[in-house]
Amino acid sequence: MAPQSTISPSASGAPWLRAQFRLWARSDGERLIFVARSAFAAFLALWLAFRLGLDSPATAMTTTFILALPSSGMVLEKAFYRLLGTVVGCGAALLLIALFPQQAPVLLAGLAAWVGLCTAGAAMHRNQQSYSFVLAGYTACMIAVPALEHPAGVFASAVTRATEVGLGVIVAAVVHDVLFPRPHSRNVQRTVQARYESFLAFCRQVLEHRLPPQEAELTHLRFAADIAALESGRAAAFFETGHARGHSRQLHAFNGAFMTALTTFYTLHRLLHRADPDSPVPALVAPLRTMLADALASGRLEELPAALATPVADARAALAALDAGRATTIDVETAIELAERFAAQLAAFSAIYRGLAQAGRQQVSEPRAYAPKTPPGIVAASGVRAALALVAAATLWYWLAWGQLAIALVMTTVFCALASSSPRPTVMVKQVMTGFLVAAPLTFAIEFLLVIRASGFPMLVLAALPLFALALWLMTDPKRAGIGIGMAMFSSQFIAPVNQMHYDPMAVANGMLGQTIGVLLALVIFTVLLPEHTMGNREHVRAALWREALGAYRARLRGDGAALRHRFDNRVRDLLSQLNAAAGPTPPLETRVVVREGLTLLELGHAVIELRTLNAASLDPAVRDSLAAALRRVAAYLSVRRSGAPVPSASAAPCAAAVAALLDAGRAIRAALPAAPPDQATRMQVALADLHAIYTSLLDQGERHAP
Amino acid sequence: MPRELSVLGVLIPTILPVFLASLLLQGALDWVLSHAGVYRRLWHPALARLSLLVCIFGGLTAWLYR
Repeated sequence: MAPQSTISPSASGAPWLRAQFRLWARSDGERLIFVARSAFAAFLALWLAFRLGLDSPATAMTTTFILALPSSGMVLEKAFYRLLGTVVGCGAALLLIALFPQQAPVLLAGLAAWVGLCTAGAAMHRNQQSYSFVLAGYTACMIAVPALEHPAGVFASAVTRATEVGLGVIVAAVVHDVLFPRPHSRNVQRTVQARYESFLAFCRQVLEHRLPPQEAELTHLRFAADIAALESGRAAAFFETGHARGHSRQLHAFNGAFMTALTTFYTLHRLLHRADPDSPVPALVAPLRTMLADALASGRLEELPAALATPVADARAALAALDAGRATTIDVETAIELAERFAAQLAAFSAIYRGLAQAGRQQVSEPRAYAPKTPPGIVAASGVRAALALVAAATLWYWLAWGQLAIALVMTTVFCALASSSPRPTVMVKQVMTGFLVAAPLTFAIEFLLVIRASGFPMLVLAALPLFALALWLMTDPKRAGIGIGMAMFSSQFIAPVNQMHYDPMAVANGMLGQTIGVLLALVIFTVLLPEHTMGNREHVRAALWREALGAYRARLRGDGAALRHRFDNRVRDLLSQLNAAAGPTPPLETRVVVREGLTLLELGHAVIELRTLNAASLDPAVRDSLAAALRRVAAYLSVRRSGAPVPSASAAPCAAAVAALLDAGRAIRAALPAAPPDQATRMQVALADLHAIYTSLLDQGERHAP
Repeated sequence: MPRELSVLGVLIPTILPVFLASLLLQGALDWVLSHAGVYRRLWHPALARLSLLVCIFGGLTAWLYR
């Protein structure tokens, strides 16, 4: 764990020592501060709960452990959403008990439905919003299940729960925000800078042909994950002090501009990649490419659109002089169109980046929020799974009349709901289970050897601190975080004494057994019930990608289509980032195939949306009809591919029909082009480029399915 | 000022709505201060924000329980 020093020990004493200290402070020191801060928050919450005479001080302490996250922005965000989820969950529990008092089967069915709905809602959201949904589900379960026998006490237990959680939330938020805070906004700033630089480097490498296509695809996948990560970072930094609200909008704009530039660049890259090396296309486009690469290297992107005019004119003149065939002309015209578009988008992207980097306020017009998308099959599966888990545990508990299983029922519901938003739920539940098993004997020993002899609060702190510190230290290690969380959650519930303390080893052992059985049941349910329906499952993501592409044709078009384009782009990239999260650091070949398909569909969908907007504007009637026909054919092909497995023979005919319709539309536009007024002519040029993009991406898809 | 408010028969300590109100006030003040760029000039912005919240909450309670 000792950081490697780059400074030789022979360098004079004090500076060397200082450098060593700084290295330590940045790695292990930061973890130690985290442990100290979180432990302080936990014991402060416990002390306050005792002092105020609350009914179950353990809940307040457990809350501070759940909120122990590395940066203050993340803590504040999670605190806010935890409070929200708890209040909603308490309300739901009160309503359910009021509707079905002392009717256990009906009440449990109602609870299962509520938990299922909440978990499904959680799957549709990201990060802490998703957590809020999960919490609303299982808080209701936590309150309603113990109240089955005594419905009159439900209001008091709901108030207790909300109060304890509220206290824990306030303490954790204050301590993590004030005591040696680690601001998240600095992190976000660093991410933005790294992303800008890596994007420029990536584009340059691709333009200079220094990156093999597989690498480029993986980079696209990683960029999709980066976009989602920046969005969650932005959401966390939003809660921090001094975080100007305009900054948030700028970050939205940054992400948006990045996505647009990335899509155009992918299309351009595919075009250059597909071009036949023997044709005159590469030679004609070469000056444009060098120009772009040079601008990317120097970082002076704002002047790029203006500077590109000369090589564009040269290329057009060379093309006219060459009098090449139709295919070459289309390729070169499309490449020029795309290069100009890319240059304009790069300039916009760079301007937003400069605004962010200089922390200057700049007016960003109409930022749009990130729109996540989860495949509906997975949403439904996580809801059904959580509901069935509750029903299964309730069956065991209620009809076996085994009292201890009430806590098991709650734990099963909690972990089925919590783990369903993770790409590898069994791994997560297994880690928590390990944490439980490690913590059980330690907790038992500490409770009945040390805490029992403790007199007063300081002694209690001394007795419990080592175990909590160990759990918190494990939480700072990304590989063992789940174990640490499990340990902290488990031990904090048993060690914290209630106000009128009574030591009952049997009750504690029963409680421990019940909790462990609950987590075990959650693990069994995840392995048995719909084990393939997890976040980022390849087949589900693939189907959802095709559905999104079809949505680009079917969704309603408003105004200039910017909203639709943004939504489509966001959702496709969100699906890709789920794929990335599930695939891990080295995606297998099958994942890469889905990524390639997704990127092609992204290109196709954008072209479809643009053609629809162009068609909505005034165009020549003949052109409009042929474009509409081509779009219909493309949509027919997409809906064939979307429904069911890709059978080559079934999709070949619609694909051929779509290609023929695209060629027809191209001919119609070229026939109308010479007579068109100038503003229509530019629009037609754009339409031609889009038709070409759809055509080539269809050919790409076709190739892979040719028998 | 009563110590507890009765909302639909449920007794709620008056402190609770006061606390929520001070959170709202604090949010508004926060918005103004971060727009004015005050937080960037401070050593510990989070502490300043917390202290402001304490001042607002304390002021409101002192005014209520005069």
